[in-house]
Formats: sequence, structure tokens, C-alpha cells
Amino acid sequence: MAGNRTQIKIVGEILDTTMREIDEQEGATVTHIIKNANISHGRLSRILSNLVSQGLLEQVNSKRSCRYKISSSGREFLSAYKTFREFSDDFGLNI
Amino acid sequence: MEFFLEISLNAIGFLVGIIIGIISYIGFKNTGSPTLFRLSIAFFAIGIGFGILAGGFILDDIIFETGDINTGISMLGIASQVIGYWFIAFSHTIKTFFPKSRYLRSIGALPLFLVSFSYVETILRAVSFILLVYGAIETMISYIQGRKKTTLFVAIGLGLLGFGEFIGWYSFVFPETVLYVVSIIIKIGGLISIGIPVSKIPLRKITFDENL
Repeated sequence: MAGNRTQIKIVGEILDTTMREIDEQEGATVTHIIKNANISHGRLSRILSNLVSQGLLEQVNSKRSCRYKISSSGREFLSAYKTFREFSDDFGLNI
Repeated sequence: MEFFLEISLNAIGFLVGIIIGIISYIGFKNTGSPTLFRLSIAFFAIGIGFGILAGGFILDDIIFETGDINTGISMLGIASQVIGYWFIAFSHTIKTFFPKSRYLRSIGALPLFLVSFSYVETILRAVSFILLVYGAIETMISYIQGRKKTTLFVAIGLGLLGFGEFIGWYSFVFPETVLYVVSIIIKIGGLISIGIPVSKIPLRKITFDENL
């Protein structure tokens, strides 16, 4: 039974999306993140501004659209998140 | 022999509990996950509980020399473990099974005050057993869903701790038998099994970041 995703899990998926973005230099578009992280635009906007203020994401303003790129702190956070997601999975729990 | 096994069991329990507690706490500090926070409280409480029991046995061996652990110390250690097992069970959303009504919640604690003080330890052990069985079943369900080997080890570990507790009860009914030693060995096996996932954590990569 898959329950609701926790906030930390959504953040992990957003950061993972920006990390996996093919054109890493330009960053991921909001549409791309919505599609991959499966989240509404309203909720994503709040989380994105929070992640940018915490220094986990960098906002890149290109000509056509606003894009988001993962920062070095974001990479560290994502690495720790993945490690501890595995750890809590071992105990049959969701992070 | 039994005394040595008791000290060994509790020392292993202390080590396993504190190590998993520390790793969970590092995880909580890094990610802010409430699950990891609950897990750290759970394993710190379990580790401290085992530590108190180990201390009690060592104290008796060195100072009191009565041949048995002090009842107060024993109760304190078991109570601490129950708190830990409760947090593990709570993490598996046990709250959904709690009675909704405030009246039912208030009388839920009443039996503890109606029984003689000498039975509290037995009650705590019974609660431990129930929580361990619940935790083992939930973890086994998670294993069936995810097919992750380390989850299976944790489920087996919790199950063995519960089974060891169950066998331990029979040693009261059939004293002077091998049952008590068997129950301790089963519990040690359970603790080692729970500790297996910790060996998979790449500790060198884990860093504290106070800004996150």
C-alpha cells in the first residue's frame, strides 16, 4: 500500500529531477519538474522558492523560461537523502 | 553461564541500539525526516534499556552478589526498551489503531494502576512482545512489497527478539531447563540481524550540514 508522499520525499524527487536533467548547465524547467516529480504547480512554486532560499537549488533565468539547477549543497543533500532513504527502507519505513 | 549470557546479550543490545540510534540521528540532522527522528529515539531508548540491564547485572556481579539483577534496575531497563519498541511500532502508523475517543484513550492506561506493582515488569514484557510482533509483521509486509534483503533481516531480527521474549516466559513455567539460555541466544541472534543494515551505510560519506 503506497501512502501519501512525505515532504522530504517530494523534495528528494525534485532535486533528483534537476540532477538528472540532460542539459545540466541550463537546468530543468518548471514543466519538466512537474512532470517528473508529479506535483501541482502551486505546491511546486512554494517548494522551489524554499529550496532556492535554502541554497539547494539555483535559479537560472534564461531567455525563454525560468529554470532550476541543483547546487553543490543540493547534491550533498540528495546524496544524504538517498543514503538515509535506503536506511529507513531497511526498517520497512518511508523517510 | 546464564549470567555471562545475560551480560553479553545486554552489551550487544546496548551497542546495536546506540549505533543505529546515532546513524538515525545523523540522518535526521541531514534530512530533517521525522521518521528518522522517531527511529533515533526508538533505538536510543532500546540501547539505553539494554545498557541499564547490563549495568544492573555487572553491579550485582561485582557489588551486591545476590545472583540476580535488582528489580528496580530491571524494570527501568525494560521500560526504556518498551518505549523504543513503541516508537518502532508508532513509525509503522500504529496510531491508526488507537481509539479515537478521548474517554477510551484515558481508560486505556487504567489497567496499569489497577494491578500490583510487582506485575508491572510482566506487563512491560508483554507489551514489548506485542510491539515486537507488530513491528516484525509490518517490516515483513514491507519486505514482501520491496523484496529488499536488509528489510528481511530487520523483520527476522524483530521477530527473533519477540520469539526470545516468548520462550523466556516458558522458562518461568519450566525453571532449571535450557529454555532460558535458548531465549537469550535467540535474542542475541535477533539483535545481530537488526544490526546488519547498519553495515551497508557508507559512514565516510555522511556529513553534518547545520544549514540544512
